[in-house]
Amino acid sequence: MQAQGVSLCLLGVMLFLCSAHARGLRRCLISMDMRRIEESFQGIKNAIQAKDTFQNVTILSTSETLHSIKPLDVCCVTKNLLAFYVDRVFKDHQELSPQILRKISSIANSFLYMQKTLQRCQEQRLCHCRQEATNATRIIHDNYDQLEVRSAAIKSLGELDVLLAWIDKNHQGTSAA
Amino acid sequence: MLPRLIVQLAALLSLLLGSRAHGKDRELPRPSSAWFEAEFFYHVLHWTPIPNQSESTYYEVELLRYGVEPIYWNPIRNCSQTLVLSCDLTMQTLDLYHSNGYRARVRAVDGGQHSNWTSPNTRFSVDEVTLTVAGVKLEVHDGIIFGVIQLPRPKVAPAGDTYESIFHNFREYEIEVRKVPGRYKSHDKIKHENFNLPVPRGVGEFCVRVKPSVSSRVNKEVWSKEECIVLTPQYLTVTNLSIIFAFVLLLCGALAFLLALQLYVQRRGTLPTALVFKKPSPFSLVSQLSCPETQDTIHPLDEQAFPKVSPELRNSELHGSTDSGFSSTKPSLQTDEPQFHLPAPHPLAGGTLGKGATQLLENSCSSGSSKSTDSGICLQEPNLSPGTEPSWEPQVGSDSQDQLDSGIGLVQNPEGQPEDVQGGSALDHVSPLGSEVAAGEDPAAGAFQGYLKQTRCPEGRAAEAGGLEEESSSTAGLGPRFRTCVDAEADWPLPALAKGYLKQDPPEMTLTPSGAPAGQWNPPTEDWSLLGLTSCGDLGASDWSFAHDLAPLDCVAAPGGLLGSFDSDLVALPLISSLHSSE
Repeated sequence: MQAQGVSLCLLGVMLFLCSAHARGLRRCLISMDMRRIEESFQGIKNAIQAKDTFQNVTILSTSETLHSIKPLDVCCVTKNLLAFYVDRVFKDHQELSPQILRKISSIANSFLYMQKTLQRCQEQRLCHCRQEATNATRIIHDNYDQLEVRSAAIKSLGELDVLLAWIDKNHQGTSAA
Repeated sequence: MLPRLIVQLAALLSLLLGSRAHGKDRELPRPSSAWFEAEFFYHVLHWTPIPNQSESTYYEVELLRYGVEPIYWNPIRNCSQTLVLSCDLTMQTLDLYHSNGYRARVRAVDGGQHSNWTSPNTRFSVDEVTLTVAGVKLEVHDGIIFGVIQLPRPKVAPAGDTYESIFHNFREYEIEVRKVPGRYKSHDKIKHENFNLPVPRGVGEFCVRVKPSVSSRVNKEVWSKEECIVLTPQYLTVTNLSIIFAFVLLLCGALAFLLALQLYVQRRGTLPTALVFKKPSPFSLVSQLSCPETQDTIHPLDEQAFPKVSPELRNSELHGSTDSGFSSTKPSLQTDEPQFHLPAPHPLAGGTLGKGATQLLENSCSSGSSKSTDSGICLQEPNLSPGTEPSWEPQVGSDSQDQLDSGIGLVQNPEGQPEDVQGGSALDHVSPLGSEVAAGEDPAAGAFQGYLKQTRCPEGRAAEAGGLEEESSSTAGLGPRFRTCVDAEADWPLPALAKGYLKQDPPEMTLTPSGAPAGQWNPPTEDWSLLGLTSCGDLGASDWSFAHDLAPLDCVAAPGGLLGSFDSDLVALPLISSLHSSE
C-alpha cells in the first residue's frame, strides 16, 4: 500500500514537470485565417509578378533558408519576416494602381495583426531567436539588398505566396482555417 | 589619309552587317503571350503563335525552378516542333506541389532567327492548378442514389503524391442534380467523397455533376462531366419482399391451423367402439351359410293335415311376421307353402305322436341349449344319417329358464328308426306341433305367457363345424336343433307359423289329446290340422328309447288336452298355416 502511494506521488510529480516543460516547449503559433491574405494576393499576383524581370533571382531563397528552419525557430523567423515585409517591402513599393494598392494594404494590415500575436509570445519568452533563425533572416536581407529597391520590392511582393505557404505549413496546428 | 578612310569604311560595313543580322532577330516577333493550363499532374504551357509565322517556325521552351540552386534555364527539347503551340511540362514539373514554383519562357524560331522570349505573367505554382475530379459513380439502392466521387489518379504522379495528400485539408465538393431534360439545380456542398441523394418522386433519368474545391486555397475549380442514371420502378424491394414473405407465412399458418382443427373434429366424431359393428367376416358368412344348412332341414307340413287353418290366419300379420321362429338364418318361411318336414311322429303326446317320431330330445335341446334364442325352434341335426329328418318334440315345461321364445322344439331322434321316422315323419312333424297347437288353444283360458326363445343356433353351428354327423355325435347326439322350448309356466307353446312365434300356454293347461292315447299318435282328426305336441311327461310312458340320454324335460303336457285346446282355439292361434306335414 505504501509502495503504491509512493509510486503515485512520483508519477504526479513527473507529470507536473513534464507539463511545465511542455509549456516551455509550446510553440507560439499564429491562429488566423490565412485564406483572406491568400485571396488578396491572388488578386495582385498577376500584376506584381508580371513586373518581375529578374526571374533567376530569389530573395526568400527557400531552399537555403525557409526549408531548413527548425520548429523551435519558426516563431523567431516568422516574426523577423513579418517585420521585413512591414518595415521594408511595403514601404519601398510604389504602387500606382488603386486596386492593387488596396489589396497590398489589406495584406499589410494582416501582417501587422500577426506581428502583435507573436509579440505576446515573445513577452512570454516563447519566441526565442537562436543563431539559425538569425542567420536565415540575414540572408534574406542580403538578397533584398543586392537588387535595386524597386525591383526588390516588386520581387518581394511577388514572393508573398511563398511566405504565406510557409507560414501556413508551420503554423498549421492552430490556424483557424 | 587613305588608310584612315579604309578603316572607317570597314567599320561602317561591319556595323551595317551587324545591324542587319540584328534586325533579322528583331524581325521575328515573339509569341505575344504564354500561360499555363494545369490540372492535377497535367501541366501544359500554352502560347500564342507569332504573327506571320511560316511553316518552318517552331518554338523553344525553357523552364526554370524558382528559388532552387543552381538556378538555370532548362531547355525542353520535346516541345521544339513545328507549329505546335503547347508543351506538356508535367514530367519536368513533378515537384510543383512541394516547391515555390517554376518559371517558363518560350520563343519563336524560324530559320536562323529567334524571337524574344515570352514568359507567363505569373510564376507557375500549385496555386495555378485547376481542381478537377476524375468522375462520379452512381448506384441506386432502395430508392436512394449513392454517389462516389472519383479523384484524379494520374499515372505520372510520384508515389505518395495523391490528391488527398497534397490537398489534405478542407476539401469540398459541390453537387448539382438535374432530371433529364431539366436544368441543373444545386443540391449540396459536401466535405466527403461519398454522398447520398434521395430520389425525387418519379422515375426517369437523373444526371449529377460535381465541382471540387479546397476552402483554404484559391485554386480554380471546374465542374466534372455529368454522370447519368436511369431509375426504374422497383417493386421487388426489400420492404416489399419482406411483406410478401410475412403474408405467405401467415397464410400457411392459418391453413395449418384449419387442417389441425378439422382433424381434431373428425377424430372426436368417431363412433365409440361399443357402437362399431363388426363387419361379418367371410368365415362367419361361411359358417352362417353352413349353419343354416344344418338347420334348414325343415320338414314341410302337410297342408291337408291342417284343413281348418283359415286363410285369414294364413295371411295374418303373425303369419306375415318376419320372425321366422327358427334360429336359422335362412329366410323366414313366409311362403304359404313352406317345406316344413316333421320328424318321426312322437310316440307320446296322447297318441298324436307316432312312435319314435317324436322323441323328447328336449333334453338335448334344453340341456345343451340353455341359451336364449330369438325363436322357439331348436332344430337338432340327425346324427345317424344326413337323410334322417329331425324330429319335433314338444318342449312343454322345459327349462323355461332358457328363455326360449317359441314353443317349437324340433329334435331329431338319434337312435331313431329311419323308417319309422320316414313313415311317420309327417306325423312326427305334426304331432309336436299339434300338441303345441292344442296347448296353444287353451290360452283363451290362460294368459298369454309370451314367446319362448329359441335355443341359440351357434351351438349347432359350432358343432356343425366338423360335419353333421360328427356334431350330432359329439353332443348329446344332437346337432343343431330346431325346437321350441316351452316356458316353465307355459305348458303348450303354440305351434309356430311359418315364421312366427308360438304362443305359450299357461302352466295349468294340460294336453288333452282328443281321445288319443298317450304315447300313441293317431292320425290327426279333421279338426286338428296342426302338429301335436308330445308332453314331456309322456316320455316315460313312451316307447322312446332315446330318452335315456336326455334330461327329462319339465314338460307338462297332455297331448290330448293339447289337441283339444288346439282345436278350440285354432282360429285365434298364430297358426303356422304354412306348415305342412309330410304325411
